[in-house]
Amino acid sequence: VQVNVDIYANLRQYSPTGSGRFELTLVSDATVKSVFLALGIPEAVKTVALVNGRHATELTRLKAGDNITLFPPMEGG
Amino acid sequence: MDFFEILSYQKLSHNPESNDKIQTAKGGLMEKNTAIHGWCGQVLRVNLTDGRILTELLDSDVAKSYIGGRGLGIYYLSEEVDPACDPLSPANKVIMATGPLTGTAAPTGARYMVTTKSPLTGAISCSNSGGNFPAELKKSGHDAIILEGRSPLPVYLWINGEQAELRSADHLWGLTTHETDDALRRETVDTAKTAVIGPAGEKMVRIAAIINDRDRAAGRSGVGAALGAKNLKGVVVKGDQEVSLFDPEGFKVTNTKYRNNFKEATRDNPPPLRLHGTAITVVGTQSHGVFPTRNFQQGQFEGWESIYGETLSKKFLVRAKPCFSCPIACGRVTKIPEGPYRGEGEGPEYETIYALGSDCGVDDLAALTKANYECNELGIDTISMGSTIACAMELYEKGYLPESDVGMPLNWGDGQALVQLVSQTGKRQGFGDKLAEGSLRLATDYGHPELAMVAKGQDFAGYEPRGEQGMGLAYATSPIGASHMRGDPAYFELLGVPTTIDPLSYKDKPPIVAKWQDVFAIIDAAGLCVFFSVRYLTDLTLDARPVGIMELLNTATGANYALEELEMAGERICNAERLFLTRAGFSRKDDSLPSRMTHEPMPAGPAKGHVCHLEEMLGPYYKCRGWTEDGIPTPEKLRELGLG
Repeated sequence: VQVNVDIYANLRQYSPTGSGRFELTLVSDATVKSVFLALGIPEAVKTVALVNGRHATELTRLKAGDNITLFPPMEGG
Repeated sequence: MDFFEILSYQKLSHNPESNDKIQTAKGGLMEKNTAIHGWCGQVLRVNLTDGRILTELLDSDVAKSYIGGRGLGIYYLSEEVDPACDPLSPANKVIMATGPLTGTAAPTGARYMVTTKSPLTGAISCSNSGGNFPAELKKSGHDAIILEGRSPLPVYLWINGEQAELRSADHLWGLTTHETDDALRRETVDTAKTAVIGPAGEKMVRIAAIINDRDRAAGRSGVGAALGAKNLKGVVVKGDQEVSLFDPEGFKVTNTKYRNNFKEATRDNPPPLRLHGTAITVVGTQSHGVFPTRNFQQGQFEGWESIYGETLSKKFLVRAKPCFSCPIACGRVTKIPEGPYRGEGEGPEYETIYALGSDCGVDDLAALTKANYECNELGIDTISMGSTIACAMELYEKGYLPESDVGMPLNWGDGQALVQLVSQTGKRQGFGDKLAEGSLRLATDYGHPELAMVAKGQDFAGYEPRGEQGMGLAYATSPIGASHMRGDPAYFELLGVPTTIDPLSYKDKPPIVAKWQDVFAIIDAAGLCVFFSVRYLTDLTLDARPVGIMELLNTATGANYALEELEMAGERICNAERLFLTRAGFSRKDDSLPSRMTHEPMPAGPAKGHVCHLEEMLGPYYKCRGWTEDGIPTPEKLRELGLG
């Protein structure tokens, strides 16, 4: 499946293109964890993931055309 | 009596063990409580009506029960101010209070709280700020200043160590906050720290702020107007003593442990707040569809990438600026190098970007940054300023507000109008005189109070309650009216701290919101900043147990708080605030949100179709608070907390 990824702040170092927005092709049955693995984001790096603007876990399944947003935990204020 | 002849007289210590005499404002002697640590044990009381200044001892039982800062603020407000008084009358008091960790080496021990009856809402105002002024105040040997009465002439308060005097501020009246800071440090000590009002506070603009250290703001609820109503231009302070610690070695070990935790966690990944300031938060709100846009008509702003943190860093950032003892450094020193909005200063923060940016449909970062600078210099709360202009824009766009009243077109996205209206508001000129009353009074004047995005008369922060149910509950039940800083559910609903729970769920939110409101009260009372405390000084669960705060407090003060006892202090502060509101006539009917939030489904984005389920949350919330169905603390709950 092909998904769209937006990645922010210091997580951008894991972008394959260096850009904050890119497309990613994954095997079918991919989950959010597949995205972390594909981008090489270590488990120790805490990451907030949204799929189509909704909160997601590592187990959330992806479908073609999904928009994935990744950012580090941050503070409000 | 010459008004500027400053009086002082002695009040004997409660502590018979102590016989350490100290000099008070004009040479009197009193006994200092040398057995107290963390706290200074002294409160400065300034009667502006007759110019009398007293140094009073802080009761150690009160100190432990209310901790400090926000706790001391509500303690003195409840004891001394009629909840029904006119906030702009001499009967109101302004309490500036530090916490026991303010001015220590504790990470982010930089905060103070300004508490008063709010000129904007008639509810409580307790507005928090960092920078360096609060630590300096603490180092002057004072936990708090109580400002009462009304001066017959413009004055400022000069605190030089334990000496204090009122001086004429005739020559300062009309100056901006920056000009005032320059003048005050010139005529006292250059390294002194200031907290002052600008023209907005002088003119009792109901959304006026108190600005300390030039650009840090105790912004919300019109605290600047309360100072202006007292003819007090500001406070300038020079401290000359370190905060005494109960167990200096234990404090050092504890402090090092928590600072090292922070260093370890951020070694390979610098905190987003340091890299891009709070402005990075736009990412979280925009992607969740809760970035308030055009007076909360939408939750996503098409121009967000032009105004968010990374763009700010690229275009205008000069350097990151920490407050006293802060390892994060989220403050932004910025400069607009050229163009019609050329200037320099600090900001914008996330809340400012929402209020002066997306909420007004403005995607011109230079314009909203310039409007931020103007707010700082005139002494205006950027949140309520932006939200009030957004309200005016909607009134205008819908034909309820004629162009002739405004004196210019007022369409969404007009950055030039934004900057002009901020300036007019600070001086109460033209249409600015109406904006100076805040959004609810403005919208009511034009027959559409439902277009004011407020709770208890105070404007929302930058989070949409329809897409963030816990935030809706927090806004509605906050004692100061809408505020994100009373429990800030954005942490667990949007930003992944300590974990993320569905922002659209509502049945699970009441106990979490109540718990986080209590923990925020502890943080505010201790003199710490939320940014470090939530992440590094709690147990990082949804219970947010304040383990690290307890350890720091105990080594600093020797108060020997048990965890449950400290948590109860947080609950006590929240209940004391609620009790003050109850006595002022507030109840469930005031724990409300505009009908747009509760009856108009979100039109688009991830929260499409949702409203805020406030009514469904209020009952369970009151129940876990131990309050009646009408939101009144029960006698049993008050007795349990020592408030009955």
